[in-house]
Amino acid sequence: MGLPSVKEFVRPGTLDEALELLRERGERAWPIGGGIDLVLFAPREVETVVDLGRLPLRYVRENEGRISIGAIATLREVLESPVVRDYLGGVIPEMLHQVASPLLRNLATIGGTLVSANPWSDVITLFLALGADVVLSDGKTRTIPLEKLYPARALRATILTEVRLPSSARESAAAFWKFSRTAFDVALLNCATFVRMVGGRCVEARVVAGGTPQLGARLPRAEACLVGSGLDDSSIERAAEAARESADVREDRRASADYRRELVLVGVKRSLHEARGRLAGGER
Amino acid sequence: MKISLTVNGAQRAFDVHPGDTLLEVLRREGYKGVKKGCGAGDCGACAVLLDGRAVNSCLVLAGKADGSEVLTIEGLSKDGALHPLQEAFLDEGAVQCGYCTPGMIIASLDLLTHHPDPNEEEIREGIAGNLCRCTGYTKELRAIQAAAEKMREARHG
Repeated sequence: MGLPSVKEFVRPGTLDEALELLRERGERAWPIGGGIDLVLFAPREVETVVDLGRLPLRYVRENEGRISIGAIATLREVLESPVVRDYLGGVIPEMLHQVASPLLRNLATIGGTLVSANPWSDVITLFLALGADVVLSDGKTRTIPLEKLYPARALRATILTEVRLPSSARESAAAFWKFSRTAFDVALLNCATFVRMVGGRCVEARVVAGGTPQLGARLPRAEACLVGSGLDDSSIERAAEAARESADVREDRRASADYRRELVLVGVKRSLHEARGRLAGGER
Repeated sequence: MKISLTVNGAQRAFDVHPGDTLLEVLRREGYKGVKKGCGAGDCGACAVLLDGRAVNSCLVLAGKADGSEVLTIEGLSKDGALHPLQEAFLDEGAVQCGYCTPGMIIASLDLLTHHPDPNEEEIREGIAGNLCRCTGYTKELRAIQAAAEKMREARHG
């Protein structure tokens, strides 16, 4: 049997109903999107599975350039959505094509991915670089930067309902880079960068490295090397060097810390060159 | 708990444990074409179409599939005639031990339904979650290309 401890499987139709169930059942209740992590890493105490799949949160929308993705949208649905196709040069589908397999992308939801916070997550690394916000509800709704979501395990009787991406300003670009042993494997390391230019000068930059093997995190020292620069080769070089020095890389069974440190350098450099190329290519 | 599924076109009701996976339910009910490989979403042997999209049935809780349409490898042939994908896998010798074949064909069906004319890279990505330890994937690749052609011809007459 998949999950012997489970005594109850419920599929609420409204957010209020789902929150009520989570409040009532407390720590023994587990909300799921696709449910992948629950099946894989089943904590013994789970008695009630609260399937959020019937909540009206399955959408990818655009409003004045801003993108809203409902928590229940699968990675596949986001990948194929015309709404994200051209956002910042198509960086979202570019990243999603590299996440797991089509079989898993058909099941995994955006909300589940963000809340599960697997440290190798490609989605989280890129969304941190894009400056995403998430909408949380515990009865009251609040919107917080994705960065402030973690550690997500602290969420109690709270449901992540939506992720929002800012409108892509003119002269901005983003890129994603992943290194893994096979196309299907999780990242040994991933990087994402975002830059916004005004009059040839970088006014905003986000550089993120993930799977270090910790969850994606910004690298402020690398970002500082870019802001004010013209994104010339030498400032990209300095940023990549700063990323290598400041990223909190560690060893695990997949790779050594030294190896990861070199990957940060290469990943940040390539990602920034790619982003710069997109600016030059006239993509927004 | 009770769930109802449309399996290979037939309406079925099943009594399941709330912690069961869809894979466990299907195999228990006789759909043995759905294979259990890794049980962790890595190998794809358990792939079925769930409401038209291929998923690892080992990771789907059965309750989640309640009210859905499921297609297993058993539901692919029509009136004794094999599906073009099944024919192509035979013709191209894309089957050795056969354990991965049902999942591989289901993943390919999802691919070809949504992308009738995939290039080689798209086919490789389409079966990225299906491990085959015998063939080296070249013959599957050829089989999927051949099936795509047949299915396009069938569509356009």
